[in-house]
Amino acid sequence: MIAELQLFARVVAHDFQEPLRMVTSYVQLLAQRYQGRLDPDAEQWITYAVEGSKRLQRLILDLLAYHEVNTRTQEFAAVDCESVLAGVLFELRGTIAKRGATVTHDPLPTVRGDVAQLQEVFRNLVSNGIKFQQQEPPHVHISATQTENAWVFAVRDNGIGIDPHHLDRLFLVFQRLHATEPYPKPGIGLAMCKKIVERHGGRIWVESELGKGATFFFTIPR
Amino acid sequence: MQILLVEDNPADAFLTQEALRQEKSNDSSLSVVMDGQEALSFLRQGGKYAGVRRPDLILLDLNLPKKDGYTVLAEIKGDPLLKHIPVVVFTSSTAPRDILQAYALYANCYVIKPLDLENFFRVVQSVVKFWSVIASLPS
Repeated sequence: MIAELQLFARVVAHDFQEPLRMVTSYVQLLAQRYQGRLDPDAEQWITYAVEGSKRLQRLILDLLAYHEVNTRTQEFAAVDCESVLAGVLFELRGTIAKRGATVTHDPLPTVRGDVAQLQEVFRNLVSNGIKFQQQEPPHVHISATQTENAWVFAVRDNGIGIDPHHLDRLFLVFQRLHATEPYPKPGIGLAMCKKIVERHGGRIWVESELGKGATFFFTIPR
Repeated sequence: MQILLVEDNPADAFLTQEALRQEKSNDSSLSVVMDGQEALSFLRQGGKYAGVRRPDLILLDLNLPKKDGYTVLAEIKGDPLLKHIPVVVFTSSTAPRDILQAYALYANCYVIKPLDLENFFRVVQSVVKFWSVIASLPS
């Protein structure tokens, strides 16, 4: 059953992409060729169609990435979380500067895992911490503590926090918690994090109150 | 330069044509065949293709009816009369095993079709420019 589901996800992700690429490309070609010769309604509709098809492409790529979390063949190796975080902060430097965010961290350990996937987890949690912010400049702090058999990582932010009613839906695929802008459209980030952390034998959870920031925790076995 | 595009989806083939048409400095001409068998008859100048000029460059999709792209690639690279012609595998597959297999069969390069029109045009134009202007070919 699981094998069948995986096949289904892969077929959906790959075989949907092709016809969708035709829709996107031809709407863009229409826009390119007839720009300025259509009435404003038509131009607006073309924009909507392009946006819609690009969004669907994004969703399909996300779904494919989500599906591929467990099909990676890379062996686990020693991963220095300090340098993983440094890489993530470098990638996010544009966003950090734009939002005037501060990201601080305690010393982080070396763990065993898949470096690209752990980078994905840090990237998602840190960028969420920066994004879901209303007034103050965002501050994200990353720390790690040791228990008997695992490292517990914590990514704390001072953002808008999460309504307790939503906590159980947070780690599901394509869930939208905030009904309106300015918050980004629902993605797959936290569902990815959950799948990756579980592949490493750990777990992930969040503690938060509305208006009081959120702290995401995840464990990686030692 | 003479280019042979092996592509079963007419909408996709038209996009490649359009990319070349929009490139002003481009002076290549494109022939399109829609399956693997046709591709090989074209290259071997058989049947209705008697007298056609052999292409200088082949753009090959992998997902083809009758004979798939891998079979076509293997036949080209196993044929002393054809194996010198550069084959650019041009496909939407991002799967590492497709990339590996294409190079193992001596593809000259593997190019993934971009999802976005502007990038698609740019990639087609760059590939053709590379093989026609930058690279020197036997023909």
